Amino acid sequence: MVAYNYVFVGLLLLTAIGFALAPLALVALIAPRKRSLAKGDTYECGVKTHGETWVRFRIQYYIYAIMFVVFDVETVFLYPWAVAYGGLGTFALVEMVVFLALLSAGLAYAWAKGVLRWV
Amino acid sequence: MDVGSALYGTPLFAQSHRVDLTVSTCVIWGLWLIVGFAGLFPGIVAYMVWLERKVAARFQDRIGPNRVGPFGLLQSVADGLKLLVKENIVPRSADQVVHLLAPVLVLVSAFLTLAVVPFAVGLVPIDPPSGLVYLIAVSSISPLGIFLAGWSSHNKYSLLGAMRAVAQLVSYEIPQVLSTIPVVLWAGSLSLVSIFDHQVAYGWNALNPPGFLAFLTFLIASVAEVNRTPFDLPEAESEIVAGYHTEYSGMRFGLFFLAEYLGVFSVSCVATVLFLGGGTPLPFSAFPVNLLDGSVGSYLLVDGILLAVFSLKVLLFVFAMFWVRATLPRMRIDRLMNFAWKYLVPLCILNIVFAAIWYEVVVRPGALTARNWAWGMIAAGLPVVLGVQLVFRANRKLAAARAVDADWPTVGTIAEASR
Amino acid sequence: MGEVVVARILFLAIAALGLLAALGTVLSRNLVHAALHLVGFFFCVACLFVMLEAEFLAAVQVLIYIGAVAILLMFGIMLTRNTRGDDATSLSGPWRLPGLVAGLCLFGALVFGINNAVSPSGASPWAGEAARPSLVEREGEPAWAAERRRAVEDMGRVVGEEFLTRYAMAFELAGLLLTAALVGAVALAHRDEVGAAELPPTVEALPADSAEPVGTAAS
Repeated sequence: MVAYNYVFVGLLLLTAIGFALAPLALVALIAPRKRSLAKGDTYECGVKTHGETWVRFRIQYYIYAIMFVVFDVETVFLYPWAVAYGGLGTFALVEMVVFLALLSAGLAYAWAKGVLRWV
Repeated sequence: MDVGSALYGTPLFAQSHRVDLTVSTCVIWGLWLIVGFAGLFPGIVAYMVWLERKVAARFQDRIGPNRVGPFGLLQSVADGLKLLVKENIVPRSADQVVHLLAPVLVLVSAFLTLAVVPFAVGLVPIDPPSGLVYLIAVSSISPLGIFLAGWSSHNKYSLLGAMRAVAQLVSYEIPQVLSTIPVVLWAGSLSLVSIFDHQVAYGWNALNPPGFLAFLTFLIASVAEVNRTPFDLPEAESEIVAGYHTEYSGMRFGLFFLAEYLGVFSVSCVATVLFLGGGTPLPFSAFPVNLLDGSVGSYLLVDGILLAVFSLKVLLFVFAMFWVRATLPRMRIDRLMNFAWKYLVPLCILNIVFAAIWYEVVVRPGALTARNWAWGMIAAGLPVVLGVQLVFRANRKLAAARAVDADWPTVGTIAEASR
Repeated sequence: MGEVVVARILFLAIAALGLLAALGTVLSRNLVHAALHLVGFFFCVACLFVMLEAEFLAAVQVLIYIGAVAILLMFGIMLTRNTRGDDATSLSGPWRLPGLVAGLCLFGALVFGINNAVSPSGASPWAGEAARPSLVEREGEPAWAAERRRAVEDMGRVVGEEFLTRYAMAFELAGLLLTAALVGAVALAHRDEVGAAELPPTVEALPADSAEPVGTAAS
């Protein structure tokens, strides 16, 4: 029967989930369970929690996330290029330098605008 | 040593994503899952914790765990038992389902990365043709788990820690991924087995200038990816209690702990395979892989040598991480982000071009010769040195222009820049 | 034909899970839960890619969508005031019908487009089992079958080769698009230097309602 490598990945996924859940299940069976009001409180250094927890975060996090997505997509382009490079030659290198230059220009713009500075 | 005969490869699974699901494959997979992933790897990780405590103790002139068993060797067992009998406390205001899901997600990600690591010839769970992309992909799941842990806890410290952690992880993932591009370029394949084969034929990847730069970048980014000192801001206990796992206790915390050390183990394995030639003991020799003659005896001998050397190299990386932890203080968050985006990313982008130069000079001719190698050292080495100089100088210049950006005492540099 | 039956069952199971996840995305009141359902859906898509013998695309799917876009979504949610989903996150009444019509139109367009896809090299399209090349070499098969088998076996390489030869223009345009996205995001989201300098530099997050800082940065 012909199957795929990724059958193993599926099995490994199940194993990993099982490996994570089995001790949790065991804990549920044997560990003590005594609920109390104080125990269920949010732990913020013993001080009563104050104000809203799920607050709005600064835009900076979002900009970093955007840059991450852009560069992550870039790497997805780079991998096939790197694999195929040996069979192609100089034209491939020129193309990739152009591609990298474009991306670097984006990075330089972000840098010049000062968004790479964490405040 | 030409490329054609360099396919020492794996006798069990040729590089293909199809396999014959025969009885032997099923048995081997079963062995991997039960003995390897559910037994051996967590065991190794448990003893890494013991080792870290011993090593850290020695660095601090203490003895470390020595009560449970000889040399404290049973300490990990005791810790595991302790985690099992501890109460699982989930805050009332937490999102119950997501709170459970988060550690599972992080642990699953750590487990899945190990599926494509070739430990020795034929000793690899699977070898898909795009193994490296698979590896990067599954390891990129863990930031999501960490975010969910922080978010679901409904705790300010958790959320702050998680946001920081994710910002750090995604920033360092880029240099980590970019620094593997040269390796792929030289091997001409995304399969980790092919990358190993390439190093058998052309020497370890870390031993040429672009490879060395990529190796350093990969190491730094990997230490940041597994949240270890000096990049342990996500769980900076002096600022945000314990970061994203503040509200985790007992076994659920144990899962995070296990995932972290599993991550340390797997990045050490990956660094060994990608840059240090896997288990080969000598950098420019096919020994011991050239001893393979198809007999079971030679196979066992070769794999024995490879596994022993592989373990030594991994141990070296792990020890280096312990050493760094015992030595360096935590970084400041703005410096941390600066270092990823202003130093590592530009360096990695430049390094891709340098790697192409090395490919043209040394790999393209088809076989490794001393002459080509020497030319490559010059042709690729000079650009690497200049590139590093350029990036550091540019940063220094730009930072000196605004004192608030400076990452070091700027007394001299400001005066220099204003002149 | 055991494999085909197993494959069908797997496909149906994954498709059903994907549908459930998609429904969860739409129906969840909590934005983070909705995003999580979406992640589950992305994962189902990755599984479908594996079943289509496109393991490279599956890995890319996980890398980009689960590893990156999901993080972007989560950070996007943390930017909004409404992270719990208590207030009305769903569409208001008058917008429901147009939304439904638009969704159905998109669905129809996709179904039509996918079923009438023309493969670029002039060979018969992948849809339909009869035209699918076998992974095992057959006698007298057309040339494109061998080419496609190579694409299936080593997708990363073939994608790279196509990028750099036939689709070179598209490749560079993609680079330009990425740069434009980056520049656009920076230009939109970045406040001017003057405004930024006036903010207290140590406040990492401010609560939505009170002016009191909850956490301070490491600096």
